[in-house]
Amino acid sequence: MSETPKLKRCEDVAPLLVFYACDELTSEEREQIVAHLAICDGCRAQLSEEDALQAAIDRMPQVADQFESSGVLLAQCRSELSESLDELSAPKVKEGWQPFAWVRAWMALRPGWSAAALLLVGAIVGTQAIPWLPVNPGNGGGSAVKVYAAPRITPDTLNKMAVSGINFSRPTGKIQLQLQAEQPMTLSSDEDDADVRRVLTFVISNSDRFDAGVRLDCVEALRGAASDEQARAALLSAARKDQNPAVRLKALDALRDMAGMPAVRDVLLEALQHDANPGVRVEAINLLVRAIDSGSELPELAPEAPDSESPVQGVAPQALPFPGKDSEQRILRALDNLRQHDSNRYVRLRSAAALRQIAQQDMQ
Amino acid sequence: MPLSRWVLALADNSGRTSGSAAALATVTSLPNLDERALVSEAQAGNRAAFEDLVRRYDRDVLRLALNLMKRPEDARDVYQEAFLKVYRNLHRFRFECSFYTWLYRIVTNVCLDHLRRRQARPEDQAPEIHPNRMEEGPRDFFDYQKEHRPTLDPERSLIGKEIQSRIVRAMERLSPRERVVFEMKHYQGLKLRAIGDALGTTEETVKNSLFRATRKLRNELAGLR
Repeated sequence: MSETPKLKRCEDVAPLLVFYACDELTSEEREQIVAHLAICDGCRAQLSEEDALQAAIDRMPQVADQFESSGVLLAQCRSELSESLDELSAPKVKEGWQPFAWVRAWMALRPGWSAAALLLVGAIVGTQAIPWLPVNPGNGGGSAVKVYAAPRITPDTLNKMAVSGINFSRPTGKIQLQLQAEQPMTLSSDEDDADVRRVLTFVISNSDRFDAGVRLDCVEALRGAASDEQARAALLSAARKDQNPAVRLKALDALRDMAGMPAVRDVLLEALQHDANPGVRVEAINLLVRAIDSGSELPELAPEAPDSESPVQGVAPQALPFPGKDSEQRILRALDNLRQHDSNRYVRLRSAAALRQIAQQDMQ
Repeated sequence: MPLSRWVLALADNSGRTSGSAAALATVTSLPNLDERALVSEAQAGNRAAFEDLVRRYDRDVLRLALNLMKRPEDARDVYQEAFLKVYRNLHRFRFECSFYTWLYRIVTNVCLDHLRRRQARPEDQAPEIHPNRMEEGPRDFFDYQKEHRPTLDPERSLIGKEIQSRIVRAMERLSPRERVVFEMKHYQGLKLRAIGDALGTTEETVKNSLFRATRKLRNELAGLR
C-alpha cells in the first residue's frame, strides 16, 4: 500500500481544499492539510472562501422543495406510471396480416382523392371490363332458370306467429294472410301457396293458440283445398277436436264433397254419435244422407268397437237397406239410435226423416 | 439537509459513511431486510411487489429529477422513463449491487440523457425554473413591508441574493455530468464513491467532475467580494 505523499507545498494543498471543505479526503490527507493550514495564511484564506462557497451552495433554494411539497406532482407521476404499467402488462393483440393496409391508410388520409379514385375505378370496370367477362354458353339461349326461394315460413315462425288478417275470395280461391311474426309479413296463395296452406292447417290444428274467429276463417279458406291430403287431415282434426261447435260445423261443411271417403265418413259418424252440439249432429246427418243419396260407393268403415253405441233398437239390422254393406248398416243403426234416444227433439226428427229418405231411395 | 433513504442505503453500500449516517442507515435499512424477496417477486412478474419498490424510492427519484431538470414536466418524463426502464430490465438485475445503486444508475443515466439532449437543442427548451428568479417576478404585499428584525443586514441579504443568482448561472454552464455530480454531492448528500457507483465510473473521475464544477462556480463568483 503506497503511502500518501506529504502535502507541504501550497500548489499541492490548494486543489484539495475543495474536497477538504466537503469532507471528501482521507483522514491522512486531512491531517496533512490541517498541518499545512496552521502555517499558511494564503491557503487558510482560500479555505475560508471554499467554506463560504459551500455555505452559499447549501443555502440555495431547491426546485424540488417548491414542487414536491404538495405531493401533487408525485401523485401525478405515480398515476402516469401505473397507466403505463397497465399498458405494458396488457396482452398484446396480435395483428394479423392486413392486405392493402397502406391503401386504406392512404385513403383515410385523403378522402377527396379516395372518392375520385373509387369513382374512376368504378367507371373503368363498368365500361371496359364487363364486356370482357365470359358468358356461360349453357345459359346463352336465354332459357329461364328457375330459382326457388327458401320457404319463408319456418317451424319457429309458425310457433311464434299470430294471424292478424285473412282475406279470401271464393270465386277465385285466392287467399291472402297477414301475419305478425318477428317481422310482419303478408302471404298470398298466388305466390306462396304452400306456405299459405301450412299456416292455415297449423292454425286449425292448434285450436288452443288461435281465436275461434280466425280458425273459422282458416277453415273457410281451406274449403277449396279439401282434396289436398294435408288440408283434409287438418279439417278432419278440426271437425273432431275443435272446442268451438261453429268451427266443427264449418269443418264438416268443408268436407261435404269428400263424404264418400272412409276417413271423412268415420268423422261424420263420430260426430253423429258423440258430438255434444245438436247442430253439428244434424249437419253430420245431412252429410251422411247426402253421401248415400249421391250413390257413392261407400267403402268399409273401420270395425265397430265392442263398447260403442248399443245396437239400434226397433230396427233390426237385417231389415235395414243395403244389406251386407256394413258401413251403411252402421250409419243406419246410428241414425236409428238418434231417432229414439237423442236428447234433442230436432235431431230425433231429422234422424227419422233421414231414415225415411234412405228407405225411399232404397225402394226406388 | 435531511438524508434520503436511498442516499443512506447507497452510503451504506459503499461502506464509507460517517458515524451518525451509518447508524441511521442501519435503522432505515431494517425494512429493506425483505427487499431482496420483494425484488425477486417483482422479477417473477408480481406487479404489487414492483409498485412497492417504486413507492420506496420514487419520492427521492422525483426530487433528484426536479433538481437536475429544473422543470416539473421534464422531471415527470425522467420519472416515467426511469421506472419503466427498471420494469423492463428488472429481470437483468442479478443482485451484484444493491437495488438502490442499480436504480440510481438508471435514474442518473436518464437524467444525463435528458440534459445532453437539452444541451444539444437549447432552442427547443422552455426556460428552467429557479426559485431565485421567481423571486424577481411579481411580488405580493408582504414583499414590500419593512423588515424589523434587528439581525437582518440588508446589504448582506442583497449580496446573498446576488451570489445565489450567480450560482444558478454557473450551474447552467456545467456539463450534464458535472451537474449531476454537483447535485448528488451537494443536494443528495452522496459520497463521491457512491456517486461513482451510481454513474458507473470511478471515484477519481467523479472527483475531477466535482472539482471542475466548483472551479466554474468560483470563477462566476469572483469579484463579488
